[in-house]
Order: sequence, then structure tokens, then C-alpha cells
Amino acid sequence: MIEVKGLRKNFGDLEILKGIDTNIEKGEKVVVIGPSGSGKSTFLRCLNRLEQPTSGSVIFEGTDLTAAPEKQLHKVREKMGMVFQHFHLFPHLTIRGNLTLAPVKLKVMTKDEANAKADELLRKVGLYDKADSYPNMLSGGQKQRIAIARALVMNPDVMLFDEPTSALDPEMVGEVLELMKQLAEEGITMVVVTHEMGFAREVASRVMFIDDGVIMEENEPREFFANPKSPRLREFLSKVL
Amino acid sequence: MNLLEQNNEFLQKLYDTFIYDNRYMYLVNGLKTTLVITLFAVMLGMVIGFLVAIVRATHDKTGKLKILNFFAKIYLTVIRGTPVMVQLLIIYYVIFASVRIDKVLVGVLAFGINSGAYVAEIVRSGIMSVDGGQFEAGASLGLSYTRTMTYIILPQAFKNVLPALANECIVLLKETSVAGYIALEDLTKGGDIIRSVTYEAFLPLIAVALIYLIIVVGLSALVGKLERRLKKSDRG
Repeated sequence: MIEVKGLRKNFGDLEILKGIDTNIEKGEKVVVIGPSGSGKSTFLRCLNRLEQPTSGSVIFEGTDLTAAPEKQLHKVREKMGMVFQHFHLFPHLTIRGNLTLAPVKLKVMTKDEANAKADELLRKVGLYDKADSYPNMLSGGQKQRIAIARALVMNPDVMLFDEPTSALDPEMVGEVLELMKQLAEEGITMVVVTHEMGFAREVASRVMFIDDGVIMEENEPREFFANPKSPRLREFLSKVL
Repeated sequence: MNLLEQNNEFLQKLYDTFIYDNRYMYLVNGLKTTLVITLFAVMLGMVIGFLVAIVRATHDKTGKLKILNFFAKIYLTVIRGTPVMVQLLIIYYVIFASVRIDKVLVGVLAFGINSGAYVAEIVRSGIMSVDGGQFEAGASLGLSYTRTMTYIILPQAFKNVLPALANECIVLLKETSVAGYIALEDLTKGGDIIRSVTYEAFLPLIAVALIYLIIVVGLSALVGKLERRLKKSDRG
């Protein structure tokens, strides 16, 4: 579904990604872990071209995103939902407005269809009663659940999560992870950058360790955590577990 | 007795200045002209200002629109680097020198073009103050830059700078007082005409000042109210 070939990204003289090759298949739950500054968030942001890669290609459902013209890029992004560390809800819109803006303005749905879809998703994330509230009236955990619902409204084929629980108070991490677990069980393809090792162990179909701009090691979770092969991963796991 | 005489003299002056020959109509008509010029100049300034701000901010954020940005910068430099009175004189005596044109229209153009430069910088600062994550959130949903700007960034930017924009309107109202230099009979000129026929400066000029003051204080109070309401909605 997503084919990454020789992906490199420089910021000025700083080389963040030093050649990443991987395939993400339909239905996979890929959890990306690694130290701060390792390039894991940059990798994720290259998948929907929020960052323009310096070289290499990202092929999503047959389209090379790195070379796609703007219009095509926007079309592709509709199929890739993204959830950010800091939510980025639209503060001037109600929760319902946050969910319905994109499908209505992009004419993917009529206003009624979008509202129905929003209701369905708000029930799913357990925040139907907040439909007419504004984002600043919600807690961090609630905001992130709304951000997930907003990303789901376009019926994406893949969901990208960029450290979705890192900005949350500890007591709110659980509700967000619970929702993500529920999505995983429903079979949607997910790529999750996180520091939550428990989530990786429990939900991932593959755990990917990015360090110093390359995929140092990847494996199914049980083997990954029980038998880390590279010394860097062993060192990293000994610190975080 | 003396006091009574003084009182009578004052009343006589009041009568001469405002009542005799319906002279107060100079102020009424002048005020009308001032308000008309201000209103339409504000509207023109907002349109120019928003367009220029969008060009400038788009260039800053994406590096596109190089040529438009170049002209926008020249516009901002020239307008903000020269006095509004000189701009007014140039527009009337140079640009429209050989054309018969309504002076009010000239005033609207001059003050609107002038105000646009200040509005542009206010709005640009508003756009730049919106969190960059908002652009990314819009992009990640498949919205183009233009759509993200229109539906996500500008509404927030507008709210952020609404008080500053309202203040710009108040400033503009006062700045139109130089319109008399192209013989436009605005409020200030109205007071000055009365002075020139009665040879009495105090009353007409103080009256003019009071009228400006009342309008400005009134508008400022409204802006203050607006600011408090916006703050409240921010706190949720």
C-alpha cells in the first residue's frame, strides 16, 4: 500500500533520514519507535509529504507522492488521515465544524451526509455530547479523540499518528490508546510513531526501530522486544522499558 | 451686571457661530462628508489590506508569488514612508489633474489606499500569529493552500486582529481631517469655513474637536467591549 524507496531528507546540512526502504501492506499496524531526533517523525511526515523528501520516493496506492503535482497530492492526502502530537483542532469551529469542514469543502459529501458521518464518528469516540462545543472546552484526551475522528471522516485508507499521546497528561493517555486499539481491531492500516511500548507490544503487527536516520531493526513485536538483535536497540529498550 | 453682559456676549457669539444663516449646517454636512469618506475608505482599505497581506504571508510561508510580493513591498514602503496629506495632494493634483472627478471619491481613494497599507501589516501579523500546525492540519485533510487559508487561517487571523483593525478605523477617521487641502468640505473644513466668516476661532474649532472626540471615544468604547468579548470566548 505504501512503498518507501531510498527516502532521504536533509534540513540544511543536517541529514535526518539517510535512506529508508520499507513496504507497508494493507491492514498492517506499524509502530515506529526510536530516540528523540532519530528521524521517526520526519519519516512519518514524508509519508503524506508534509515534509518534501530530499530524494527517494513514497509510492501510495500506485502514486509517487514525491513527484505528484499539488492537485494530485491533495487527492491522495484525503486518503491518508493524520493525527498530530498537538491535536491542531480548528479553534474557531465547533467540534462538528472541525469534522465536517474538509468533506463539505472538498465536496466529497453533502452537508447532511457529513453531519451524519460526524455523528457516527463522535459516537464512536464517545464524545457525541460535545458536538456543539468548541475545542478549547475539551480536555487534552478529548481533543485528541476528536482529532482522530476528524482524520477518520474522510474514510482514509491509512492513518498516520505522530506521537499522539506525548502531549497528554498521564491520566488521559489511556483513553486515546484505547481508541487507537479499537481502530486497529477494525482493520484500518496504521503507522504510529510513539513512545508507548505497551501499545507497540499489544497492537503492532510490526515494530520499526529508527535510529540515526535509518531503520535499524524491524520485527513482529514479540520477537522485537524479546530478542533485540542490534546493540543500539538493546540499549534503547533497556532505557525505556 | 458685568457677568450678565459677558453671558450675553457669549450667547451672541454662539448664535453668530452656529445659528445665524444656518451656519451649523457647515458642521452637519462636513460631518456627513467625513463619515462617508471614512466608511468607504475603511472598506477599500480592508480589501486592499487583506489582499496584500495574503500575498505577503503566502510568500513568507511558501516562497511563491514572488512578483506580486515585490509590488506589495513597494506599495507598503511608499505608502507608509510618505505623509497621507502628500499622497492626497498627489492623487488629486497629479494623478487626476486632467480629469474632472468627484472630490469625495478622490478622498476615498487616497485614504483607502493609505489605510490599506496599515491594514495589510495588521492582517499579515494576524496570519503569522496563527499556529503553523493549522496549515498542516488543513493540508493533511486534503485541503489546498488556498482552501486552508480561506476556511482555517483567515477566520482565526481576523479574530486575532479585529481590535487592531477597529483602531485603524478610528485613526483613519481622524486622518481624514486633512481632506480640506483639496478643498473637500469635511468636518474640519466646515469648522474652518465658519471661522473664516465670523472671525471667531474658538467656538467652531472647539465644536469640531468635540465632535471628533465624541465619535472617537464612542468607537473606542465599542472596541474595548469587543476586545473583552473576544477574550472571553478565548478562555471558553
